[in-house]
Amino acid sequence: MRFQRVIQTLTLLLFLLLLWRVAYPLPAWEGLNVFLKLDPLIALGTAASSRAVIEGMGLAVLVLLITLVLGRFFCGHICPMGTTLDVCQRFIKGKNKSDSARGSATGRQYRKFKYLILFFVAGTSLLGISSVFLFSPLSIITRFYSLVIYPLFMLILGLLLETFRPLSEYLGMDALSLVSIKTPYFNTNVFVMFLMATIICLGLLAPRFWCRNLCPAGAIFAILSFRPFFRRRVSEDCTLCGRCARACPAAAIDDDFFNTSYSECIVCLKCQELCPEDAISFFPGWKRHVPAQVDMGKRRLLGAFAAGMGTAAVSMTNLRYLHELEHPKALRSARLIRPPGALPESGFQARCVRCGLCMKGCLTNTLQPVWWEAGMTGVWTPMLFARFAGCEQNCNICGWICPTGAIRPLDLEEKKFAKVGTARIIKSRCIAWEQDKKCLICDEICPYNAISHQPAEGKKATVPVVEESRCNGCGYCEMKCPVKGESAIVIEPTGELRLSSGSYKKRALELGLKLNRAPGTPYMKNQSPLSD
Amino acid sequence: MNRREFIVKTAGCAALAALDIALPGLTGIKADAGDLPDIVLAKGGPEKATRAAVNALGGMRRFVSQGQRVVIKPNMSFPNPPEMATTTHPEVIRELVRQCVEAGASSVLVLDNPLRDIEICLERSRLKDVCRGFKGSRLGGLKDKGSFKKVQVPGGKDLKSTMVMKQVLKADVLIAAPVAKSHSATGVSLSMKGMMGLIYNRSVFHYAMDLNSAIVDLCTILKPSLTVIDATRILSEGGPGGPGKVITMNRVIASNDMVAADSTAVELGTWYGKKIKASGIEHIRLAHNRGLGSMNISNMSVKEVTG
Repeated sequence: MRFQRVIQTLTLLLFLLLLWRVAYPLPAWEGLNVFLKLDPLIALGTAASSRAVIEGMGLAVLVLLITLVLGRFFCGHICPMGTTLDVCQRFIKGKNKSDSARGSATGRQYRKFKYLILFFVAGTSLLGISSVFLFSPLSIITRFYSLVIYPLFMLILGLLLETFRPLSEYLGMDALSLVSIKTPYFNTNVFVMFLMATIICLGLLAPRFWCRNLCPAGAIFAILSFRPFFRRRVSEDCTLCGRCARACPAAAIDDDFFNTSYSECIVCLKCQELCPEDAISFFPGWKRHVPAQVDMGKRRLLGAFAAGMGTAAVSMTNLRYLHELEHPKALRSARLIRPPGALPESGFQARCVRCGLCMKGCLTNTLQPVWWEAGMTGVWTPMLFARFAGCEQNCNICGWICPTGAIRPLDLEEKKFAKVGTARIIKSRCIAWEQDKKCLICDEICPYNAISHQPAEGKKATVPVVEESRCNGCGYCEMKCPVKGESAIVIEPTGELRLSSGSYKKRALELGLKLNRAPGTPYMKNQSPLSD
Repeated sequence: MNRREFIVKTAGCAALAALDIALPGLTGIKADAGDLPDIVLAKGGPEKATRAAVNALGGMRRFVSQGQRVVIKPNMSFPNPPEMATTTHPEVIRELVRQCVEAGASSVLVLDNPLRDIEICLERSRLKDVCRGFKGSRLGGLKDKGSFKKVQVPGGKDLKSTMVMKQVLKADVLIAAPVAKSHSATGVSLSMKGMMGLIYNRSVFHYAMDLNSAIVDLCTILKPSLTVIDATRILSEGGPGGPGKVITMNRVIASNDMVAADSTAVELGTWYGKKIKASGIEHIRLAHNRGLGSMNISNMSVKEVTG
């Protein structure tokens, strides 16, 4: 196998391994999200839209510095999107079929698009709106593996286990029969798949169509590698056979076979290996070979930038853009519960790159990608889906895994105080309130001791009552409520705490919230269930 | 007592006795126990009191024979430390596992269907390692439907059928090992209430049935041959999930009659600030009336030991 393929395989495996490890409990070492931090579009785009320094963005800067020397090595060796597209290319087009688009003019005519997309992203970022999630290769690929491939993998694993369960039971293999595979479920995963499927299918036009023509991170690399230190050179031995140009997956070799568009070259070294005359070499040097210039078209770039600003401006006049706590008439969806530690909404949306790591790591699978609930600008941001699962108080993965600090990393003590909403009982649905039945499931499950059972006038059974200052909004009550369909107790964003800095605990105590439940602290007393 | 009452009660007792002869084991009245006590109340720390309690009841070999499959049902529904008394103390379970393995059990499974996330419950309750070092023993939380099998409840009044863990159905011996705690719906949660942790859908008990009656129905099919109640500390109020008032008792209760064991725990502890009789707990009273066991512990032999 070629050196490039070895590196690609290893980095993709590392990427998948790190992604797999994003699960409870997180290892003590940090860095599971390192691939996202390598993406310059995530680092620069997020820094621009949030007007903040993103922790770990130095890594992306380092990648850019290396690009100055090695050219677009990242695209050809490191990027899991590139590797995934290379793998898929084998399936959508036969391995050895000749590819008319390679090396020809048609393979080059869309190149400029990536610069336009980059300027579009820059335009939206200028107005504080992030469109990184739509175009960042690392965001798209991490989201795809987290929300589409991982659940699929677990589903198949579970089916296999179910198939072999009778056998393992027959053989008395207790260990196997006690293993249960929890298949994760994700909202909007079909659309996540569509986006990636589209990118893969563009490979029908030309291999790595995305990387060559559309990827804005690739555009950043391209700009920096217009004259790399380590570059392709062709010696006088060249017989103009043209094999190199036909094989080049980036269509970076000019029709004279001598000149190279260094901005397109992904340094895969395929041409060097193929050349029957050993005329091609890659080695350091400043000399000669003027790179083919791409006329980026200043007017179009400005147009793309303006389009980005315009789109951002339109999205800011979308009704759902009004953010609660930031606007008195906010029309935010009543069910939009953000993860604990999420920044105030506009800062949160400016930072969140929708990579899906928080949702992949979420212990209970309550974190779900939203569709339009948070407006045009909030697509695929995470929300707590309490009817499906509660937010486990002993888990704080989402904040620690977030690559851009959209969700703040909180220790478990702080997290207890990061109130995400408040439970409200819908009395007309509640079987204790409405049917006078002895149902106390919400009280039984509440980890914060915020629900008690109290006598009510005209009722034989005691009824559940929420004490709002004790409610963290974790949603276990909503999840466990036995009423079919919509729960009789629902979490609403009322009273959520969204702090961009400072201690949640301090703020919560100032507000008089009683979210602490360490042993020995006063707790709320129930009406005694014992009859006298 | 008038004559009519006398006749009815005598007939009832006779019928119960006849039933016991016809179907030994059903009523929980053991005729062959010899000098062994009905109930043991052991004093001491979790590990030692558990050992003393089971030994005084005739030792684990009385319940577990060579090559048998054992399931132990602890309480591990909540991710709370043992000090909060919402889960069984790990030392109690470890000791029971040890005794079962020593008695020759071919497999010892510690199983529950926790309310909260399995892994985090095992971790926080410190039950995760109780099986470590004991061959053939395993701890597991089971939630997925595939691990359960539907069974009929022949004598069920409210509960006609339910899905029970397959591993429990396969087991030769079932041991209940709950922690003694209060419960906002049933007053207390002990071995009988704890059986709800071995089925797939327990919330149906709350909304579609009479909870107390359904618990008794369930116990007619899930009847442990040994009940060991961890009352080293009890959650006197605030149960089942806590936080609440925890009282240190330093006691472990053991009996082959789950109703008697539960009754002993009720009368040993203080619940919601009161001392109550076992008959004050509805599901215990119902179980007694339906012949599942006896709540009249004053008529039974109770042995007190120190571990």
